[in-house]
Amino acid sequence: MGSYMMKRILVSIPLLLIISFLTFVFMNLSPQDPAEVVLHAQGVPKITDELMTQTKAELGLDKPFIVRYFDWLVACLQLDFGNSYVTGQPVWSLIGPAFLNTLKLTVVSSVVIIILSILLGVVCALREGTIIDQSVRGFSFFLATMPPYWLASLMIWYFAVKLDLLPTNGMDSYKSYILPVAVIAINYAGIYFRVVRSSVLNHLNEDYVLYARACGVPERKITMHILRNSLQVAVSIFCMAIPIILGSTVVIENVFAWPGLGSLSVRSILSRDFPIIQAYVLILAAAFVLFNTLSDIINAAMNPKLRKGL
Amino acid sequence: MIVKKLKIVALMFLVLSMLVACSAHSTNSDSNNKKRGASNNRELVIATTKDINDMNPHLYAGSMPAQGMVYESLVENTKDGIKPLLAESWEISKDGKVYTFHLRKGVKFHDGEPFNAEAVKKNIDAVQNNAEKHAWIKLSTKIVSCNVIDEYTVELVLSEPYYPTLLELSLTRPYVFMSPKDFTNGGTKDGVKGYHGTGPYVLTEHKVDQYATFEANPNYWGGSPKMKKITFKVLPAGETTFLALQKGEVNFVFTDDRGVDSIDIEAMNQLVDSGNYQLVKSEPMNTKMIVANSSKVDSPVSETAVREAIWYAIDRKTISKDILNGTETVANTLFSSNVPYADVDLKKRGYDLEKAKEILEKAGWTLEKGAEVRTKDGKKLAVKLYYDSNSPSQKAEAEFIQSSLKEIGVKLEIIGEESTSIANRRTTGDYDLLFNQTWGLAYDPQSTIAGFTSESAYLHTTSGIAEADELYKKIKEVTGSTDEETRKSLYADILTIVHDEAVFIPITNGRITIVAPKNVKGISFKQTQFELPFEQMDVE
Repeated sequence: MGSYMMKRILVSIPLLLIISFLTFVFMNLSPQDPAEVVLHAQGVPKITDELMTQTKAELGLDKPFIVRYFDWLVACLQLDFGNSYVTGQPVWSLIGPAFLNTLKLTVVSSVVIIILSILLGVVCALREGTIIDQSVRGFSFFLATMPPYWLASLMIWYFAVKLDLLPTNGMDSYKSYILPVAVIAINYAGIYFRVVRSSVLNHLNEDYVLYARACGVPERKITMHILRNSLQVAVSIFCMAIPIILGSTVVIENVFAWPGLGSLSVRSILSRDFPIIQAYVLILAAAFVLFNTLSDIINAAMNPKLRKGL
Repeated sequence: MIVKKLKIVALMFLVLSMLVACSAHSTNSDSNNKKRGASNNRELVIATTKDINDMNPHLYAGSMPAQGMVYESLVENTKDGIKPLLAESWEISKDGKVYTFHLRKGVKFHDGEPFNAEAVKKNIDAVQNNAEKHAWIKLSTKIVSCNVIDEYTVELVLSEPYYPTLLELSLTRPYVFMSPKDFTNGGTKDGVKGYHGTGPYVLTEHKVDQYATFEANPNYWGGSPKMKKITFKVLPAGETTFLALQKGEVNFVFTDDRGVDSIDIEAMNQLVDSGNYQLVKSEPMNTKMIVANSSKVDSPVSETAVREAIWYAIDRKTISKDILNGTETVANTLFSSNVPYADVDLKKRGYDLEKAKEILEKAGWTLEKGAEVRTKDGKKLAVKLYYDSNSPSQKAEAEFIQSSLKEIGVKLEIIGEESTSIANRRTTGDYDLLFNQTWGLAYDPQSTIAGFTSESAYLHTTSGIAEADELYKKIKEVTGSTDEETRKSLYADILTIVHDEAVFIPITNGRITIVAPKNVKGISFKQTQFELPFEQMDVE
């Protein structure tokens, strides 16, 4: 098991390197002179040639591309992502708190999604074909296909403005979590509970279930066995879901003015704050690789057959 | 089975839409409207799309409305001319090169440091130490030194007379004053340690990308403001801001420094109709226009006739009424007549397609039978117009103008680009036509006109016209002239030249709009369009 984990982790390192390089290349494909972008981002009203030269030298932009990439990479390894073009503050001091806020939202949402998915999935599978199963599936299908920003606006308007129960935006108290988490959960639980449901259904028809029933094992115990086996599939899917949610909070964060990574990245893109965008892409990529690896390891731990593959 | 399911889904959708429709109808008659929007506790919460950012007033990243509350300049630009602010009085030497300021006594920075001649010198030196960043403001190139005469007297020595000196000293940045204790390495260009000005409001809390709170300065020399607390809350434009306004979590929005409103005119009207809000509009603040590249020899727009024809072919009334919903008014000249020195009698060119055709015909651009585009010596009358792809109104205007020009036989290609790349085109001269706007009341006409000779602004726009040399000579003269009458006549000449040459094709005059709680009184505007005098506001 230990060597499997080592291998799995080692494989992800070149992956991250490739991603970081591609990010850097794409950023530099922009037709604009980075020094000009910096000065525009700082709101300097008039850009002179001397100012451009001065800025280039300050930011090390006069060096060749590859040298800049390695400088950047080495700095990144020391968690130094450079300074924001707009404010001049270290990127980490901006991205750090934003990342924490997004993480809070993601964790709460993921927990709600996982609980909801398992609960609904198992209930629907055990009651397959009944009115409960059908209406849950129909309704979730309907909700999950609504665009999140629209659903969010609708919910803010109804619960915050009309009923005056919750705040419309921000991150002030536990109440602020309710609406954004609800929107995210509705969108994702609607998809993931189907995975749980079909997985449980598959296992319901397995021979070992029939055998256990024949042996007179109590139904509750059988259900527990089915759960354990069918959740294996779910685990890897949930692991992949977390970085997806992390990345897709952009829309939700913008609607709810949540001070997280999503809002920050959108603002940085609009003001062309390249160091922040680079760090954002890198963090998301790292999250994907990390959770992907994690899901493989968890699955391998639960199912020894998978360990031989690598 | 599938049909049955579809029926269920359709039914659910119907129920939900009905629910939404019903409740949408009843918003206006909401019973708990009273507490919404209205502010009884002298507190305003403003929705802005951007964080206040680095408040260092000697750089350009910060929010101007916020900086305007915290920092003050020596003099103030008002409708009635330059008035004292931190300087109580001043004298200008006969040769126009030395300005002596007598400072207001007893003024303190927010951190308790005294505001005196020493502080003025340190601040002005800090700005001059970073001269490259301030190249746009001509005064920065004229200041030779700033000298302390006594504790409350300073003199500013210029290399040559420069009449807009007081105007430029009155701007929100860079010539405003912060406590020298905030300086790092004796200056401000490498960042500052705090944001202590002398203004009516003190920055008390700032959570990056969430909110910034300003509280009334109890020791303000002009008396502590009645509006006690102003919060800038960062909210995305559109639906979120509108909902927060409806609920009363924010109660104030106004046009930002890019001329963009957080909510559209329909939402503003809806808020006003709810009875909790009022809408206040400023005088014309700037002019939105199309700039023509007169120096691009191979382009048809280098011909005066073509530029004039385009001018005649734009239906400004429809643009103002239908595209901009009446938020902006028709502009017929580069500067509206309330701009200093701009009340000049210029030839009016209204919307007249026949006249436009006639001008083109006279200039030799003829329309062959069956052709859609005019030609001259085998060359087609085709031009490109660049607009800011982030501005829906510019795009709509561009499309509208495209269809008008088609009628007079001009092929207009419209291209949307990022504002930075448009700025780049303006600098390099790689354009036929592009959308732009004048700098605004406090900066017009002097800063915009100074831009006529600057490569990064309008050099390419103006350098192709016949009287270019004469124009530049007059621009140089006007800022150095010390006589008001000479200045008036020089400005009149300058404006007449660019008007007759039709290089700046005006479209509309932009205004600032404010949505504020109905019980707030004393809402007014400053000449510097991006700041509001919150200290003059109060509640009924």
